[in-house]
Amino acid sequence: MTTGSDDLHVLLGAYVLGGLSDHDHRVFSEHLRSCRQCQTELGQVSGLPRLLDLAGPEGGPHLSDSPVAVPAPLLAEPDDERVATLLREVGRRRRRRRAWWSVVAAAAAVVIFAGGAWLGPQLFASPTPTPPTTHVAAAAVAGSQVRIDIALVTRGWGTQLDIDCEDMPKDGELALWVIDRSGKATSAASWRATPSGYSRVTGATALRPNEIQALEVRTATGRVLAAART
Amino acid sequence: MPLDEEAVAEIYREHGPMLRRVVWRATSDPNRVEDIVQEVILRVWKQAPEAENLRAYLITTARHLIVDQHRAAGRRPQQAQLVDMAESDSALDRALDQVLVEEALGRLQSNHREIVRYLYYERLTVAETSARVGVPQGTVKSRAYYAVRNLRVILDEMGVTR
Repeated sequence: MTTGSDDLHVLLGAYVLGGLSDHDHRVFSEHLRSCRQCQTELGQVSGLPRLLDLAGPEGGPHLSDSPVAVPAPLLAEPDDERVATLLREVGRRRRRRRAWWSVVAAAAAVVIFAGGAWLGPQLFASPTPTPPTTHVAAAAVAGSQVRIDIALVTRGWGTQLDIDCEDMPKDGELALWVIDRSGKATSAASWRATPSGYSRVTGATALRPNEIQALEVRTATGRVLAAART
Repeated sequence: MPLDEEAVAEIYREHGPMLRRVVWRATSDPNRVEDIVQEVILRVWKQAPEAENLRAYLITTARHLIVDQHRAAGRRPQQAQLVDMAESDSALDRALDQVLVEEALGRLQSNHREIVRYLYYERLTVAETSARVGVPQGTVKSRAYYAVRNLRVILDEMGVTR
């Protein structure tokens, strides 16, 4: 596989983590000299290896095959009793406060409460240029050999769909269809088959990732080659 | 239920499990974990910060609380141990960072996490990882890219800004 110039920036990930072939390493180092965006991004993530090393040679409990020994009570989800204890303490502390303060606190509580609900997506949207991304692997339907990986990138305008496909038909047109929760399908990308059977294209939909029920790659005649449920 | 109680319960339900794991790993004292977690949530709620980043605020508060308790415990037997104290503080900071990095890896999507595992921790090449995971090399590269970006976002969100 050769790497087109559009694909060069993705090499940043393996450049930081390691594992690039000598050729790709050389190509990316060359690219890095002239690409301001990659220089900026590298600056943001170049501290990661040092942080990753803190987790030890195997990356800690989430990466090792053996589960961690955590005391059972800690694994339990917060139960009603614990919440009740906490709320009794809240009540006790609130009564100690002066009256004016409770007005401030109530207003602030709205902020925190709203924060709990909205902070997640906002946090992801604001601090860095790359928004949250989910990868789905589309399963080939019977009689089809294709291998497809789709990255769903959350954008302000909807969802960007980065499609990686391999072992695809060698001719004809292909399309990515997005199916929403009500079952309505819309086309989000179309492209021409390549002689190598490999292509990497980007599509777009106004739907948000959580509004997408399924993704299908179809031929021009509408035959489904692979499908993924999100 | 008054709104502030609901807010506290909400914070507890959403962030309690993560805080408990972090506090437990940092203190290794199961008996203190729940107390510290509840105290952290109450403090954050009481100071009612208009925190843009609640998770980072909770973690920072937990860090301060653990450090304070650690210092108080250290002072009790003998007061004149400032040098040792500074050393153990930085050891504690390192332990907390370690826990947070591990926690961040746990929050990474699993097919991004396995790429980090193979490329970084197991030092496999892109080609070897491609064979191990069973996806094209191009996919390994793009997953590595998103893994790195998402990990940075998760760590920023936890207040690990180094």
